[in-house]
Amino acid sequence: METYPITIGKITRHVPVVETLPGVHIPLVEIMGDVELVQAAAEGLVKHLPPETDALLTLETSPIVLAHAMSTICGKPYVVVRRKRRPYMQDPIIQEVESLTLGVSETLWLDSRMAEKLMGQNVALVFDVVSSGGTMNALEKVAKKAGAKVVARLAAFHQGNSKLPITFLSEIPILQTA
Amino acid sequence: MTVKTYAVEVAGVRRELPVVQVGPGVAVALFNMLGDTEVVEEAAAALAKRMPADVETLVTPEVKAVPLAHALSRLTGRPYVVARKTEKPYMINPVSRTVISITTGKPQLLVLDGTDVPLIKDKRVAIVDDVVSTGSTLKGLSDLIADVGGQVVAVMAVFTEGSPRNDVIALGHLPLFKPE
Repeated sequence: METYPITIGKITRHVPVVETLPGVHIPLVEIMGDVELVQAAAEGLVKHLPPETDALLTLETSPIVLAHAMSTICGKPYVVVRRKRRPYMQDPIIQEVESLTLGVSETLWLDSRMAEKLMGQNVALVFDVVSSGGTMNALEKVAKKAGAKVVARLAAFHQGNSKLPITFLSEIPILQTA
Repeated sequence: MTVKTYAVEVAGVRRELPVVQVGPGVAVALFNMLGDTEVVEEAAAALAKRMPADVETLVTPEVKAVPLAHALSRLTGRPYVVARKTEKPYMINPVSRTVISITTGKPQLLVLDGTDVPLIKDKRVAIVDDVVSTGSTLKGLSDLIADVGGQVVAVMAVFTEGSPRNDVIALGHLPLFKPE
């Protein structure tokens, strides 16, 4: 299996390279299940939290462990936006994701009880991997609908060529075959 | 509208859980650890002390118990595997089971990525969850672990719910409620 080395801090992993479209190969990063990598990413990212940050905002599933680890270090709470409506949700904030991936539409959900915690707060968005930025834009809209101000956009990895206003620790290439 | 709540204590941390209706005639105390770093860390520390010493791998169902499994893994040094609720395009030789969820009443898929199977095959496994209620997820996950050659030696949860059960290492118990 072809692999590609990715590094955060002192941690290097040789991750599998997968073909997502004909001729387009990407190193596949999964931070969930990798305590050391998550800890290294959390330590790296908390240094970029603006001092005025009140809370972290993330979404399910993989970035949850990163937000949790950052929270244990910086002491700030985090809120998780869901990708499915849950039965207990009341008056949730609903936000469509404008995805660049063909044929895939997605919706983000945030229960009003969670949204209330974000009202008037300065939040930092937390991601494991940001590529097109579509999901990031949707999460930013959720934050605004909840009455929060986004003060930072943090990602462990940035993948691709898009110029996005994010702070990230490591770059993942998109590998093309001729 | 007044919100009915139920007071619980998790490893010394007190929380008021909202009581919400989840189906006709059934309400539950809603325990959501996502975003509650203090509860997750304290629960993980308490469960780590009670984890059987021979456990080699932790397995948790997506999503709410994932931070607990992460924290427990960090504290015990045992790796953890997440059973996903959907099959991902990048998974290699995924293995799956369908269970009926009590919370949603719908069939729920549980999927292991084939690349995680070596962490489970011929290993002594502890299942980690936030709340074990009817045990439908537990049964499905146990079967899935057995399918790939793992042996479930412990089930660890923050709460059991409904009927008390002694096959789960839990820090507390939640009753079921009648909707008002």
